[in-house]
Amino acid sequence: MSETHLTIEGVSKSFGDVRALSNIDLKVDRGAFVCLLGPSGCGKTTLLRIIAGFEQATSGKLLLDGADITDLAPHKRGFGMVFQSLALFPHMSVAENIAYGLKLRKASRVEQKDRVEELLNVIELPHIADRPVSALSGGQRQRVAIARALAIQPKLFLLDEPLSALDAKLRDNMQIELRRLQQSFGVTTVLVTHDQTEAMMLADELVVLSDGVIQQAAPPSQVYQSPVNPFVADFIGSANILPAVSTSQSTLGLLGVDTGVSVEHAPGSTLQAAVRSEAISLRKVESGGTGIVSFARDLGPVTEWLVQAEGHEIRVRGASSAVSPTVGDQVSLQFDQDRISVFAS
Amino acid sequence: MSTTTLSKGQALAFAAPAFIAILPFLAACVYILRFSLSAEQGVIEGFSIRAYQDLMTPFFGRSVWLTLKLAFIATVVVMFMAVPLAFLLTSLRGSFARRLLTVTILLPLILNLLVQAYGWILLLGPSGALNTVLKSLGLIERPLFLLFNETGVLLGLIQTSLPLAVFPIVSAVRGISNEHLEVASSLGASNWRILRDVSLPLLRPALVGAASIVFAFNASAFAIPLLLGGRRVQMMGVAIRDMISPLFNWSGAAAAGMILILLTLFVLVVSAWLVRVTTVKTKG
Repeated sequence: MSETHLTIEGVSKSFGDVRALSNIDLKVDRGAFVCLLGPSGCGKTTLLRIIAGFEQATSGKLLLDGADITDLAPHKRGFGMVFQSLALFPHMSVAENIAYGLKLRKASRVEQKDRVEELLNVIELPHIADRPVSALSGGQRQRVAIARALAIQPKLFLLDEPLSALDAKLRDNMQIELRRLQQSFGVTTVLVTHDQTEAMMLADELVVLSDGVIQQAAPPSQVYQSPVNPFVADFIGSANILPAVSTSQSTLGLLGVDTGVSVEHAPGSTLQAAVRSEAISLRKVESGGTGIVSFARDLGPVTEWLVQAEGHEIRVRGASSAVSPTVGDQVSLQFDQDRISVFAS
Repeated sequence: MSTTTLSKGQALAFAAPAFIAILPFLAACVYILRFSLSAEQGVIEGFSIRAYQDLMTPFFGRSVWLTLKLAFIATVVVMFMAVPLAFLLTSLRGSFARRLLTVTILLPLILNLLVQAYGWILLLGPSGALNTVLKSLGLIERPLFLLFNETGVLLGLIQTSLPLAVFPIVSAVRGISNEHLEVASSLGASNWRILRDVSLPLLRPALVGAASIVFAFNASAFAIPLLLGGRRVQMMGVAIRDMISPLFNWSGAAAAGMILILLTLFVLVVSAWLVRVTTVKTKG
């Protein structure tokens, strides 16, 4: 099986009275692409900066291949870093930027030149070596920043919101590019983002953070399908979080509908359920429906509805069809049993 | 791209008071230029380059050389002092410590030059504080002569021009993004390497600007060389005054003034050019 490359053990960080991270435990496999995901202020950037060595953990340990690197200076860690601002050196050419880490490692001029050439080929910009960085487009700068970090054959590749400054289309391309580069270099990667689509697309392992605590660390599909708490369910792919009860048959009752999902909680206990918008289907009924459609929009392949039911607004997404309910229709709701997550209230 | 919200016309209108202040100065420069070309020493009459020819003496040559030398040494020393001070000032977190240091550095600008000069005299004079201490420690037998020579003038120039260099550099240091430094560190650069490879190159325009101000200020210094150097250290400012005051050689003083302005301009232009050339080279 895969072997652990980076181990984070009980890392906490406080800034004065403010606790940014609480007791973070995380193992990162060699060659894995890990995304730290969470809303702003959740501590994801602080965790990355601790890994990079720019911040010192208040307590806890960092192990790389089993060796303690907690107190190692950042310049001795050998981790490649890419910031959102990219921070290319404006007084150096593209080649000098990429070669800088090699120069510090006292690589010969020939080695430096070969490696720069190789990396420029990898990022598919072979002819820009001698240009000043000010002459590059946004996407080119992005690639150069990545190449500069990869040039030193980093033990870890760390990225802090690297794509956030790009426009949507370029960001899409760069995500694919980044994933391709990461895989071809086989480098263990930790990326911080607040964009859950980006995280889902890039990550082997998704680490969802909130309030300085890891909420869930698992492969993206697992996080999406089996969120461990309402926060994760809502943050990843925005689920409907609804109050629910355990029925006398120990099944889940939701909006007065017995979903048939069996639950472990004692009959009568109040629960919370997270249901994805695409896990609900609507059926138009003449009377006795669960809710009323208050909004419908046809997005082409799918339609989105808002349904008012029992005082809740429920978001539903499904295939468009000629018999789709429209605004004002009474509807009954059916839940996809496999895709409901149940939490104690 | 315009970085200001004012149109060119509006900017000109707002700059009018500045022009009103600057124009008489320009007129004075023209007047001095004209005087330096006068055939008479005391009044403007006729055209002649005699005033310039009369300056071609070993005495005036020494004065020019001394002026350039002292201004240059003072500039180099000031820059070596200003850069660490600027880094220290930007790294101080506590607002009290920062304000205290700021005021301390600013003091030479706030304090009257005369007071500062007498301060130096009290400190460095033959029976001043420093000599008294050194003597009582038995380190010296006779007082060190630190005043009324080049050493004293140099100390004075360095002290009075230091704040002129520190504050432009401080604002430039603040402008360096932390991420540039952190990226360099992640690539393996120690703090010294970051300073050498990233911070100083990024600061270069500000360093050149600060050094230019300091050099021009020191080359044209008058009060400090007069008070701390006496008549023995004839920097050009002092030499020009002597031509006017005891000698009433107005055209000669005007010519010397023109030479001082041209020399200073020449040094500044050459240094700016050198910077541009080396910058282009690094961009390869």
